Amino acid sequence: MTPQAGQKKGFRRNSAFPKGRPLDETAYSEVVGLLDGKSLAKDLLIEHLHILQDEFGCLHARHLRALGEHMRLSQAEVYEVASFYHHFDIVKEADAAPAPVTIRICDSISCSLRGADTIIEATKNAVDPAKVRIVHAPCMGACDHAPAAQIGKRPLFKVTEKSLLDAVETGNLKPDLPDYINLESYLEEGGYALLKKISDGTLTADQIIETLSQSGLRGLGGAGFPAGKKWTFVRSYDGPRMMTINGDEGEPGTFKDRYYLGKDPHRMIEGALIAARAVEAEAVYLYMRDEYPELLEILATEIKSLEKSGIIPADYFILRRGAGAYICGEESAMIESIEGKRGLPRHRPPYIAQVGLFGRPTLNHNVETVYWLRDILEKGAEWFTSQGQKNHPGFRSYSVSGRVKSPGVKLAPAGITLNELVSQYCNGMEDGHSLKGYLPGGASGGILPASLADEPLDFGTLEKHGSFVGSHAVVVLSDKDNIKDAVLNLMRFFEDESCGQCTPCRAGTEKMVQLLQSDNPDLDLVTELGDVMRDASICGLGQAAPNPVSHLFKYFREEL
Amino acid sequence: MSDQISFTLDNKTVTAEPGETIWQIAKRCGTTIPHLCHKDEKDYRPDGNCRACMVQIDGERILAASCIRTPTNGMKVTTDGERVEKSRAMVFELLTADMPAREESPDSGADFWLWAESMGISSSRLPKGEAPCQDITNPAIAVNLDACISCGLCVRACREVQVNDVIGMGGRGTFSYPVFDLHDDMGNSTCVTCGECVQACPTGALFEKSLMDDTSTTRIIKEVDKVVDSVCPYCGVGCLTKVSVKDDRIVQIDGRDGPANENRLCVKGRFGYDYAMNPERLIKPLIRRDDAPKSADAYLSHSDIKDVFREATWEEALDKAAGGLKTIHDRESGRSIAGFGSAKGSNEEAYLFQKFIRQGFGTNNVDHCTRLCHASSVAALLEGIGSGAVTAPFMAADDADCMIIIGARPAQNHPVAATYIKRAVKNGTKLVIIDPRRQELMRHADYSLQFKSGTDVALLNAMINTIISEGLTNDAYIAKNVEGFEALKTEISAFTPEEMAPICGIDAQTIREVARLYANSKNSIIYWGMGISQHVHGTDNARALIALALITGQIGRPGTGLHPLRGQNNVQGASDAGLIPMFYPDYQSVGDIEIREGYEKSWDKSLNPEKGLTVVEIIDDILAGGIKGMYVMGENPAMSDPDQNHARAALAKLEHLVVQDIFFTETAWHADVILPASVHAEKLGTYSNTNRQVQIGRPALAPPGEARQDWKIIVDLANRVGLDWQYADVPDVYAEMCTHMASLNNIPWERLEQDGTVTYPAKSLDKPGSEILFGEGFPTSNGKGRIVPTQLIPSDELPDDEYPFILTTGRLLEHWHTGAMTRRSEVLDAIEPEATVGVHPADIDRLGFSAGDMVSVETRRGVISLKSRADRSVTKGMLFIPFCFTEAPANFLTNPKLDPYGKIPEFKVAAARIRPQIADAAE
Repeated sequence: MTPQAGQKKGFRRNSAFPKGRPLDETAYSEVVGLLDGKSLAKDLLIEHLHILQDEFGCLHARHLRALGEHMRLSQAEVYEVASFYHHFDIVKEADAAPAPVTIRICDSISCSLRGADTIIEATKNAVDPAKVRIVHAPCMGACDHAPAAQIGKRPLFKVTEKSLLDAVETGNLKPDLPDYINLESYLEEGGYALLKKISDGTLTADQIIETLSQSGLRGLGGAGFPAGKKWTFVRSYDGPRMMTINGDEGEPGTFKDRYYLGKDPHRMIEGALIAARAVEAEAVYLYMRDEYPELLEILATEIKSLEKSGIIPADYFILRRGAGAYICGEESAMIESIEGKRGLPRHRPPYIAQVGLFGRPTLNHNVETVYWLRDILEKGAEWFTSQGQKNHPGFRSYSVSGRVKSPGVKLAPAGITLNELVSQYCNGMEDGHSLKGYLPGGASGGILPASLADEPLDFGTLEKHGSFVGSHAVVVLSDKDNIKDAVLNLMRFFEDESCGQCTPCRAGTEKMVQLLQSDNPDLDLVTELGDVMRDASICGLGQAAPNPVSHLFKYFREEL
Repeated sequence: MSDQISFTLDNKTVTAEPGETIWQIAKRCGTTIPHLCHKDEKDYRPDGNCRACMVQIDGERILAASCIRTPTNGMKVTTDGERVEKSRAMVFELLTADMPAREESPDSGADFWLWAESMGISSSRLPKGEAPCQDITNPAIAVNLDACISCGLCVRACREVQVNDVIGMGGRGTFSYPVFDLHDDMGNSTCVTCGECVQACPTGALFEKSLMDDTSTTRIIKEVDKVVDSVCPYCGVGCLTKVSVKDDRIVQIDGRDGPANENRLCVKGRFGYDYAMNPERLIKPLIRRDDAPKSADAYLSHSDIKDVFREATWEEALDKAAGGLKTIHDRESGRSIAGFGSAKGSNEEAYLFQKFIRQGFGTNNVDHCTRLCHASSVAALLEGIGSGAVTAPFMAADDADCMIIIGARPAQNHPVAATYIKRAVKNGTKLVIIDPRRQELMRHADYSLQFKSGTDVALLNAMINTIISEGLTNDAYIAKNVEGFEALKTEISAFTPEEMAPICGIDAQTIREVARLYANSKNSIIYWGMGISQHVHGTDNARALIALALITGQIGRPGTGLHPLRGQNNVQGASDAGLIPMFYPDYQSVGDIEIREGYEKSWDKSLNPEKGLTVVEIIDDILAGGIKGMYVMGENPAMSDPDQNHARAALAKLEHLVVQDIFFTETAWHADVILPASVHAEKLGTYSNTNRQVQIGRPALAPPGEARQDWKIIVDLANRVGLDWQYADVPDVYAEMCTHMASLNNIPWERLEQDGTVTYPAKSLDKPGSEILFGEGFPTSNGKGRIVPTQLIPSDELPDDEYPFILTTGRLLEHWHTGAMTRRSEVLDAIEPEATVGVHPADIDRLGFSAGDMVSVETRRGVISLKSRADRSVTKGMLFIPFCFTEAPANFLTNPKLDPYGKIPEFKVAAARIRPQIADAAE
């Protein structure tokens, strides 16, 4: 690759061309053709990269060069974004393009428990690498159907080596759409009437915020920030304001957003529009993860229907597609990604309520948070609060997976305990398994032992154990599971998904994996490293990454 | 002040300004917190990513990065203690784990190691990760990413400080590393080798090869003998430099915080210094052998010197040099003598040179390469606003709302000035670029007008027409400050955008939009270069620009004005010092009796009242039998003048040619006596940049061999033709200049010594000079700016069937002027090593050859052969050849036809044809 690389000053560039990669005229006209009629605004870089990746199955260097030329971006500006996201395959001139079919097999915790790693290896050995590429991938939000995979854009559940090879044979790379409530049906059952009431002034923003505050609805993406308070904050900053909806449900073990959007997408959209009205947002950006292709299709269709019906103006509710980066579930990283950049979390302060999308005050909500808005406003705050447990108002959607008989999204009272959740909602533990521990909040919340299975699961209740409920992704582990392996799985996930911005997380996750892998890890050093990651990382990823390790040392020391 | 913030820092109450970071406040209070990704220099945005500067804030769950955090009232911040120290130490340990050991690392003296040492960290308890491979494809910079800490300083250097946009942070997580373009080898990327990333890198992962071992892995030159504060020898930007010397060799140059560069440099300034130490330096005086006749078509090289010249003592050489000129003068008159001074020399050298010619020979035949660059601009400016210099520095971009760049390529020719322009665009300033050739800067522009070569007046008059017909003129300004507006109004009516569109190739709507943008913006500034001046209608081009500024009042305020970007380091100063045939210093006319009598009195000699001949006129005059003796100091007319067959014939015809230079230049091939002189890095002197900033260059090296200081050589020659010159030193010369030049009032040598740089005019000794001129009228007889309407004059030679291409010439980023210096710089010549002609890829296809094939390019005046370069920036039907390559001198092809006012030749347009050289390639 490097001609004469050993010589100190002997390298001579080819003076038949100006500096750098020459523009390939054919590639340029291909890019211009594919983007015909589309805006070339810089924030659309990721969208445009998707167009190229979808068309050519990868990103050829010649096309990246041409895209930069067309969008008036430098090659580095294009490359650094393209190389950040795992769903983009950059192919340099000397490299081979990836095989025409890609199978991504989830190896996050719930799928790993069900043998994903073995399936990955076996499938790799069974396919012709020229035709099929096997890639391991982080959580796909199908943990209740583990092990999960995706062939092209087609989700596959409970896969085996055989089922994957069969899927290759059938050649269907497109997702099936779930049976969901479309605009017509949603309108029939009274949808968007509430939004209309707000538009015509029958219901004021203050009234909505009042009800919302009474309901105690909290952000269901994981942080649990009271929604009413958030709206008040955002409204306190001068407009123009923006709204974003975070559909980047990447926390391993979480699949509730996918569940709700696959059933009733307009309930979420109406909620988002109500919230947007309340804070007078200029536009709503919905950031949907690329791992949910069926939802991307549904949402694109339904947003178009809404525009056609006149319920929303064109370019008001904007769908943006993620590209394979867990970190973009972090709200400021998501905003960076919507702006067409690498998904690096921002420093706080300022918070996004003050300086958010395109530098404007921004209200951001998780999909599920706004999903419940219509019900709360129609049925009243009391309807919601009454469905919780004592001191834990409201219900929660627990994504339960792992060693239970009936995994899935469980709508249960806030503050329910793990034991109650398993016995009352999941038909108990899987046969032959007894509870050893559980992840109360995906990868970040750590692993609690069976002895703490009677703790109420809610925001604020687990922090004393160095844990948190987060997105309510509950992964149940049994006596058949090795906790150290589980912790290593989680740490590798964090290493893979660290954005790389800050030292404690970028280097810390990598070193932590290496230390834990050794036969006789230096526990003091690991603890010291964990303390610094927690104390000095920029965002929650690095701060929470040591949690499972701490729990391993504290509750499962015998497994070391 | 109410917006000041009061908070507690390490138990002390401290007051902070809004926006001040905890890191800055701590430093101000005497505590420098460790830092890696934060560079405490202008324009470097803190990024808070390395986490080496963590501090504790009471009430916060986690630590905060002090470099990016600003305090709020009542906040309690602690910069030390176990928690923060443990955190910082772990960060260093994490990074050290993946680094080579200090002594094996690229720069053992890097900030990283200094901080690590201060914390007592030299190794790590943590396991080592994978290291990326080395990239040493750039001739000047080694990339050793095993030492990279992914702090992104190089990215900010490249993207935010220099705005070259070549480096990005690629990949993610553990694989986050700086990349060039699409993760290409640095040497194959669009990198312009400005070295800002090297200056910024805290670990040496990006480092100068000049300080490293043969494998470019570790630093071997660890300490330098001295660091000299100086100024860059190259373009007119005038960047201030720090020159590091070890064992009498320059080993490193860094940028200094000068007004025109604020620590930034370009590839020439940072890496192009080694010409000074090139073995081809002239180190002995040379006299032409009696058996070596002159020949117009001589083609010599350094190794041929001994065949044509013999070494001589200084005494003999000086006697012969002066004697030859004196003989011709005594036999005929001063009319037969001419001198070319240099825009590369100091002000003092320029002053002495013109004084030598005028006082010594009673002639005004003294000129220099400004004639080939901006003579027409200066002619139009003197005529229009009474001053030939810029009205505002290029940094006025900071205050501008709209910038027009026409006929200039600052990213190549004034790279550091271009950084100001690009940064202004990032801050929202609108940019219009008007240039027949595409340029990289157009990526940043709001309007890029690739108009037809040579139709500047059509385009500019259409803009003026729009402004007048749409009522966008500043009538109050015109009434107070402008004459000639009514005449312009009448004459301009024919130049509607619709009429001009087909002529200039820009549609009427765009012309109108650009005209409105310029006129309506609160502050608009115009930058121009040789695309304006090097035409037979160069003066008209500049007149049209002046008219634009005058009718809109876009002059005299911050963010407005007229800025011809001056090409050479001292072209402003050399012109100011009188190195031009019609003017004494400060543009005082040689024909003005009062002025002349003043000089006659102080120089004690009767002086010639006639204007002298200009550069191209002198060449013509030699062939016409007029001029017979010449003294050329640091100029290279055998490369720089148009129609080289003609020019070289003239030089060869001279009875006596004295060349004073540092190398055996193409001009020296025709010399009778060659006097070995000094390079910039060996001299003390002042230089005036394009912004009118007078700055001091200081010697870093001693001249090699017997080479001498230029000013002393001029003095020695002067004393040999009967003048009695007694100068103690350079400041002594400067002091004499000050007695003649009002522009240097209040800028005595001592002030320059102390401040390093002063802008003229300076109103008092203790106040900074005036950057923005003419807020209150112009230095003309009536105080008003004068509009001179212009008419369409076509280029002298237009393409036809026989010569169907338009040939245009110019410069490259890496090569300066005729290449005498830069071709002898290892780094610069490695990046652009050979002569090329830029051709649009479609023309290459059409003509049936391939990029890289050798071609011959021919005009009615000559033919050269060189390599073809497929270059989309060259419009179809156009050819571009840089004039710096001795193996294929573009000026064999150029048209010597002159602009009638500025006497500048039409370098920018010639009719040409191109043919592949198929003989060698044939099977």
